[in-house]
Amino acid sequence: MVFSKILKWSIVIIVVTILAILYRTYNPSGNIYFPKCPFRELTGLKCPGCGSQRAVHYLLNFDILNATKENAILVLSLPYILTGLVFDLLKKPNGEILKWRKRLFGQKAIFVILTIIIAFWILRNITYCQQSVAAIRVSVVI
Amino acid sequence: MKKYFYTDGTNNFGPFTLEELREKNITRETKVWFQELGEWKPAGTVPELTDIFKLVPPPITKPNSNFNSMENLNNQKPPKTWLVESILVTLFCCLPFGIAGIVNASKVESRFYAGDIDGANRSSEEAKKWTTVSFWIGLAVGVIYLIVVIAGAASGF
Repeated sequence: MVFSKILKWSIVIIVVTILAILYRTYNPSGNIYFPKCPFRELTGLKCPGCGSQRAVHYLLNFDILNATKENAILVLSLPYILTGLVFDLLKKPNGEILKWRKRLFGQKAIFVILTIIIAFWILRNITYCQQSVAAIRVSVVI
Repeated sequence: MKKYFYTDGTNNFGPFTLEELREKNITRETKVWFQELGEWKPAGTVPELTDIFKLVPPPITKPNSNFNSMENLNNQKPPKTWLVESILVTLFCCLPFGIAGIVNASKVESRFYAGDIDGANRSSEEAKKWTTVSFWIGLAVGVIYLIVVIAGAASGF
């Protein structure tokens, strides 16, 4: 029981470390060895997670500005995700923590998150399409 | 001596004296009759019979284990919603499954704070299922992609 737990966590830590080294060293942009987003391959549109791999690459190199340009929602949600993980790990939270848990991760909060993700999804495709149209116009003019 | 009758709905019993009636273990809902009463009435509504129920405890109102008061719920931790994991899955691999996970996380919250603990636990299981399924699909797609690319590179493309 204890042994299998140690084994499991050792594997997780080793895999995460290897991935972190790979993502820090190589920029996934234009590198064929990094998986592509199936949604983007199929539709040509960006999904809310597009740019996450590049964002992680920049984050691991402490380049927050470029990471935000690749996927703003990933960078902005990191503090929230970390708080959520800590709240999940607390076995017996007191009343005050439960109150904050309900505020930050309760039903209303979840609706806000869903709305933000979907709004981000739509907005980034609108700006993306405008950029593409502008690029096509420029190339036509030239 | 006044004579009392009682009925179980189909059969009538009696006549009894008050002392005999006391031994019959009748309840407040049992219909009784005696001459001055005119018609069958629940024993609990007849003033002179009230003292024969004194030793009978009132009916127990069963506390429903599935529904707790709001105050109790605010002092408990809801079941795991898998919200954080669902968001990570949405941002890193399989979008539709991640969204399904987030929707189920919201169901866990709403059911828990409505007092439906069993429903909340079921939604928690559902959210866990979507999150784990999408995690493994994402991983599998990534690994297959990598194998295809390496195979392609090895064969000289």
